[in-house]
Amino acid sequence: MILSDFSLLLSLAQQMSVFLVIAYLLSKTPAFLPLTNLSPRLPNTLTIYCLFSGFCILGSYFGLAIDDAIANTRAVGAVLGGLFGGPVLGLLVGFTGGMHRYFMGGFTDVACAVSTTLEGLVGGLFHLWIRRRSLHNEHLFSPTIAFVATLIAETLQMLLILLIAKPFEQALALVEVIALPMVLANSVGAALFMMMIRDRRRLYDKFSSHSSAKALNLAQRMVGVFHQGFKQQDAVRIANIIHEETGVSAVAITDTQQVLAFKGMGSDHHHAGRPISSKQTYQAINENRVVFADGVEEPYQCSSSDKCPLGSSLVVPIRGSENDVIGTVKLYESKRRLFLHINRALGEGIAKVIAEQLRDSHVQQQQQLLTEAELKLARAQINPHFLFNALNTISAVVKRDASSARQLIADLALFLRINLKRNQQSSLVSVELEHVNAYLHIEQVRFADRLVIKQDIDESFMHLELPTFTLQPLVENAIKHGTAHLLETGKITIYSRLNNGVKQLVVEDNAGLYQKPEQATSEGLGMHIVDTRLRNAFGASFALQVECQLNQYTRVIISLPKEPNQ
Amino acid sequence: MRAIIVDDEPLAREELQEMLQSHPEIEVVAQFGNAIECLKHLKQLQAEVLFLDIEMPQISGLELANMIDSDNAPAIVFVTAYDQFALDAFEQNAVDYLLKPIDSERLCKSIKRLKERLPSIKQTEADAPANHSYQTMLKEQQLRLIPCYYQQRVKLIRLEDIEHASSDLSGVHVATENGSYHTQLTLKVLEDKSPLLRCHRQHLVNVEAISEISLEDNGGAVLFTKSGEQLPVSRRYFKAIKEHFGL
Repeated sequence: MILSDFSLLLSLAQQMSVFLVIAYLLSKTPAFLPLTNLSPRLPNTLTIYCLFSGFCILGSYFGLAIDDAIANTRAVGAVLGGLFGGPVLGLLVGFTGGMHRYFMGGFTDVACAVSTTLEGLVGGLFHLWIRRRSLHNEHLFSPTIAFVATLIAETLQMLLILLIAKPFEQALALVEVIALPMVLANSVGAALFMMMIRDRRRLYDKFSSHSSAKALNLAQRMVGVFHQGFKQQDAVRIANIIHEETGVSAVAITDTQQVLAFKGMGSDHHHAGRPISSKQTYQAINENRVVFADGVEEPYQCSSSDKCPLGSSLVVPIRGSENDVIGTVKLYESKRRLFLHINRALGEGIAKVIAEQLRDSHVQQQQQLLTEAELKLARAQINPHFLFNALNTISAVVKRDASSARQLIADLALFLRINLKRNQQSSLVSVELEHVNAYLHIEQVRFADRLVIKQDIDESFMHLELPTFTLQPLVENAIKHGTAHLLETGKITIYSRLNNGVKQLVVEDNAGLYQKPEQATSEGLGMHIVDTRLRNAFGASFALQVECQLNQYTRVIISLPKEPNQ
Repeated sequence: MRAIIVDDEPLAREELQEMLQSHPEIEVVAQFGNAIECLKHLKQLQAEVLFLDIEMPQISGLELANMIDSDNAPAIVFVTAYDQFALDAFEQNAVDYLLKPIDSERLCKSIKRLKERLPSIKQTEADAPANHSYQTMLKEQQLRLIPCYYQQRVKLIRLEDIEHASSDLSGVHVATENGSYHTQLTLKVLEDKSPLLRCHRQHLVNVEAISEISLEDNGGAVLFTKSGEQLPVSRRYFKAIKEHFGL
């Protein structure tokens, strides 16, 4: 008896092995996907129903005929169907399996049909119980739970056979023989089955998280590289990053004419600076689409060397602001390696990130040009008024005091030279002061005793850097919109100070007439440009500050960043 | 011709005076550094020509021109460094403008023009077609600040702060919530170039400052201002006030 028990167990295990092999093969197909994500949508439910009903039916067919009954592994299908699909689906799967068993006949046909349906329900109840108890789906994939559920379901089946199958003696004899092997084989089988699904699921998770990490890392490293447009040295940096992160055999970046950068296998004969030669790249550029030479049906043919180790290539066009092709990103794999699907997706993503960055840099450049244009406009706007007044002053002085007139002309020449010939972005405080002083000398002579100028700037400020054309517009504003409106004497003071450890330059007048401009009108334009340039040069926290006490004073404050070498 | 130079730059004034010395027909009787000083002495100096800078503190040359009573206004020559507005405004005008630095030949022409036109300005004030655009421009332009003299100081009163303006033997006074000040402007100028409404031969009132109107038996009325002062309303001007309030 024990021996026959054991041989029955063995043959059930054999059946189970066939099941598991089928399940394993299925797990390689998309039909398996619904089991790993458990979405409650109809196509999913249908897949689960068909899959596990199929297992039920197969279990009955594979079963061993014993005394007009069948020792089988049907329970695995029903219980797992319930576990994955819930009570309703479990019942349906069990019922399908049960009906099939019923039509196979035998004295246990009714008992088996009823019990298989109930087994599906048991699986479904477990599903419900896990869902209620915890929100975490992971427990649904526990092999232990599958084992316990099947154990309970099979025990139930044995009891039902004893209850329903007639004659009772025959049923009892059958159960004595099959109970232990069936309960054991089904429970272990269900657990193994579940283990396989769980592993499959974990593999998916791991793989997708690995590739998203890769993609994120790539994107992060590429940020800011192309902030000055599509330049060769940036292309080399990008190619290196892509090569490191994707692990493909080689990476190339081209514009529409030539190769800008090449990194990786075959770099001995692929050189940056060469004109584009591959057919695929031409196709990608001319047709504005992704071109893939998989190396099997369509081989990548290197045009410069027969011994080139590269066998497949992916060419993704980089699109400019008007969706036109401005270059390509090329990924290669060697003849010995297959092109990974994920690298294809990454390649397309990379081209998008580069295009996005180029678009950003374009916008930034436009903005900078605009600021420069505004700056030029501001200079042009200031000049005539001041210029004619200065000339008038000189013409008044020239007869009276020739040397003073000569000095004024020298000041005016210096002022104009600095004003007109400034191309560099930043200058020293000392140079800015030179500009201011040339301007102030002329104004001083113009207004005579109506204007008093004081200057007190610490020597240590002289070598600090400022955006060009920062100080003079502020001083000019202080006179034009400040002291010039005073009936009494105007006072302009330019001084340096330390405010909470921050070095500051202050232009102060005694008029206190500053009003925050509503918008960037011509009056506010000078200040606005100075403010924008300070922010651009030093950061948002170095914006121009204005303190104003009506009819008392206006202080315009420039904060300077700490020097990097201190 | 008696001339006054108004410019906030001392060198510019001296320069112009020096250039005018070679024209014996012009006698510079005074120089002022701003419009307010000029206005203060304008009447007693009886100048016939004003050389006016445009950009000056508080009250610009254009505003000064606007404040002068057109009945016996001197001829005005603007002297400016660069001002598109001045160019536009006086393009077709008999009154001249000069650009700084002043060209001496251009100044000669200007003086010749002044000599020719000065008598005609006074004679044909009412229907001088040559001055039409300039006159309408001045008329349409509103005053912004009223320069007033208070002891030794100058106060610039904003139009909206004025409750009423009145003339008596000592001159014209503008009254605000904080007191009354003397001004050189005439009631006629104030009436023409501000929203102040005439209620009596000797009084203008800011309608915003009226708190009460008390009707009198003789068809006239008495106005009470917010600071509690009384102003008589003559029958002749009552109609306009009634109209304003829709009475």
